Amino acid sequence: MSGELNYHLVVESLLFASDIPLPLSKLKAVLDELSVEEIKSIIQELNQKYRENNHSFAIREIAEGYQMYTLPEYSPYIDQLYTLRRAQRLSQAGLETLAVIAYRQPVVKSVVDHIRGVDSGGVLHTLLERKLITILGREEGVGHPLIYGTTPEFLVYFGLKDLKDLPKIEELEALLQTREKERTAAFSSGEVGENINDSNLQGSLTTKLPPEGIEENL
Amino acid sequence: MIFPLEIEQQIEKKVPFPVKLDIFEGPLDLLLYLIKKNEIDIYDIPIALITRQYLEYIQLMQKLDLDLASEFILMASNLIRIKIKLLLPRDENEEPEEDPREELIVALLEYRKYKEAAQTLQRREEEEKVFYPRSDFSFIESKDRVEFLREANLFDLLVAFKKVLDNQPKVTSHTINFQKVDLEERIQYILDFLADKDKISFEELFADNPVRLILVVTFMAILELIRIREIRIMQRGHFSRIFIYRNKKG
Repeated sequence: MSGELNYHLVVESLLFASDIPLPLSKLKAVLDELSVEEIKSIIQELNQKYRENNHSFAIREIAEGYQMYTLPEYSPYIDQLYTLRRAQRLSQAGLETLAVIAYRQPVVKSVVDHIRGVDSGGVLHTLLERKLITILGREEGVGHPLIYGTTPEFLVYFGLKDLKDLPKIEELEALLQTREKERTAAFSSGEVGENINDSNLQGSLTTKLPPEGIEENL
Repeated sequence: MIFPLEIEQQIEKKVPFPVKLDIFEGPLDLLLYLIKKNEIDIYDIPIALITRQYLEYIQLMQKLDLDLASEFILMASNLIRIKIKLLLPRDENEEPEEDPREELIVALLEYRKYKEAAQTLQRREEEEKVFYPRSDFSFIESKDRVEFLREANLFDLLVAFKKVLDNQPKVTSHTINFQKVDLEERIQYILDFLADKDKISFEELFADNPVRLILVVTFMAILELIRIREIRIMQRGHFSRIFIYRNKKG
């Protein structure tokens, strides 16, 4: 260690000095002589060292970067440092709007309004203010509507590594369908409902669902 | 949920400002709620039943002078249109038309998917609160003391209030006496109630007086107190008991 550069400590110092998630590209820019793979394994080894020595923090992969975070078990104590209560958690409207934007981005307001069945103007404004979404540009065509997308702050806020870290929308759909089946199976069929139409309705509907997969927009 | 006209007029007079709440999400949300409540198959919605209940809720919201988004009214007319279409006799020789409910069902399924995604985000939001990054993030602050409770929304409140009203003894004959009720007085009543307590249950507030008008104004007082952030309403989950907490300042 004498004279020779200890890359582990350099990476540690970079992460220690940063108050935002550091992307690998930034670390690589500073430590040009190392490969991305080497930097990644250094981070892993640092985490292992922290675990073995019972440190109160670890490096997390978040928002397409790396940042030091305290471990969950210390949150009851740190909570007391931050006595000012955060104004609010996100409202249901905010969460819904974010969900639509996260899965459908880049997306314009009319799509968000259509899916939610309600005007989202006010919510979009709040989300922009909180920097959870951003304006990506304007769409060509009538009125040149604004195009929205999520921000790195969105990833940080929800503790996501990247957008792929979001649960797949098909998984959610499958979950909902199983739940639906369980529910309808539990209640004897035909009890409710007007049954005015064929039983094919269910089949025809699933095929008519909008074909555009959400993941391809990510 | 129909009030006699006089009472309606009184309510109008007694409420100088409309109560605004932005915690309900829109017509699709209300419909999903009704579908769940009635344990209905989403692919085979009994339109007559749902339309009736939907209109009941709309009326209740209007009575309470809630800021009702125009989309709610639009959906109401949409539901009625579907209902009429279903009632119209069909020509045997005609091509079998598509189910008039189909468009609605597609919209509901699509919305439900994102609502589920929103819930996932909410869980993550909650889970993330135990992590503190190396530096201060302005949006991370101390957790609520009542962490196992969640904020009740307008639907939860309406459900609880409906229960209060439904549980009132049926009055078959009544003497009309014009009792003076005003919103400020009911607000003070609630704050007094909360003065030496940590929390009170929603029902407690309605226990003292069976007069419908007073119940309604008390309910509006609750909404107003939420709006000005004097109180918080919390519950463990949908349909469970609602508790009212005084919002601690500072």
